[in-house]
Amino acid sequence: MEDFERQLKYALARKEQPPSFEAKTFAAIAAERSGRGMFWRWEAVAASILIAAALWAQHERGAREQAAGEAAKAHLRVALNITVTELSKIQKTVNASQAAAGRPGEDE
Amino acid sequence: MWIKIAFIACVALGPLGAQEIKLPPSLDRLAAKATEVVDVTMDANLLQLASRFLSDKDADEAHVKKLIGGLKGIYVRSFEFAKAGEYQESDVEPVRAQLHTPAWSRIVGVRSQKSGDNAEVYVKTENGKIGGLLILATEPKQLTIVSIEGAIDPDQLSELGGHFGIPKVDTRKETGHGKDE
Repeated sequence: MEDFERQLKYALARKEQPPSFEAKTFAAIAAERSGRGMFWRWEAVAASILIAAALWAQHERGAREQAAGEAAKAHLRVALNITVTELSKIQKTVNASQAAAGRPGEDE
Repeated sequence: MWIKIAFIACVALGPLGAQEIKLPPSLDRLAAKATEVVDVTMDANLLQLASRFLSDKDADEAHVKKLIGGLKGIYVRSFEFAKAGEYQESDVEPVRAQLHTPAWSRIVGVRSQKSGDNAEVYVKTENGKIGGLLILATEPKQLTIVSIEGAIDPDQLSELGGHFGIPKVDTRKETGHGKDE
């Protein structure tokens, strides 16, 4: 019984931690925090890149569509210009022909 | 076997041949001789794209938007040559040949013996409405073919003069233009 008490007293006796204990503990905490921070930082960077790429792609698509639309509009203007000009020339010739024949045209 | 292949090819290539009046490849060869060439090919998709970029707030653009709303395509080939005789009648004959159907009728034919200018306007009627317009204008040094597919109102077209960046052409009568038909 005495032996048991002695062993228990020894086990529960206050012991001073070694001098390196505190340093080791703080180093371990710092390392853990640093690792987790790096992970979140990389994730944030990757997300930013993805968002930037998506925005850039959207902008490019919009710019391409805008350019294509403006080009189509320009082509349409050219096509209508030639059409209207030719129709007007034909109308003018018809009017002249009618005038020469002594028949009044529709626009007079 | 060959019939099967031809059938499959027709089905597969059918949508590519959506253009009703085919402008002959010989016209493309004229481009090499021409001093000025205008080649505009606008199918329904391109017209739709252009329409999206026409403003409803601008009166001119709104007018054009309405005009092209029922169109399936606009095809223009215009060649200007340095001298006369660079193109032959045979170059435009394939176009005329396609118009020899009951659907197409010539509404205007103008010929000036003095200047050598000829112009023809054909319209395609579908269910009593205009479903297409073709202009064939030849001058000694110029050849222009305009093919418009779809519901088109020639009067609305003429009204475009002076709008949408299209110059207004004076169509008042002139005398002494020559002997016209």
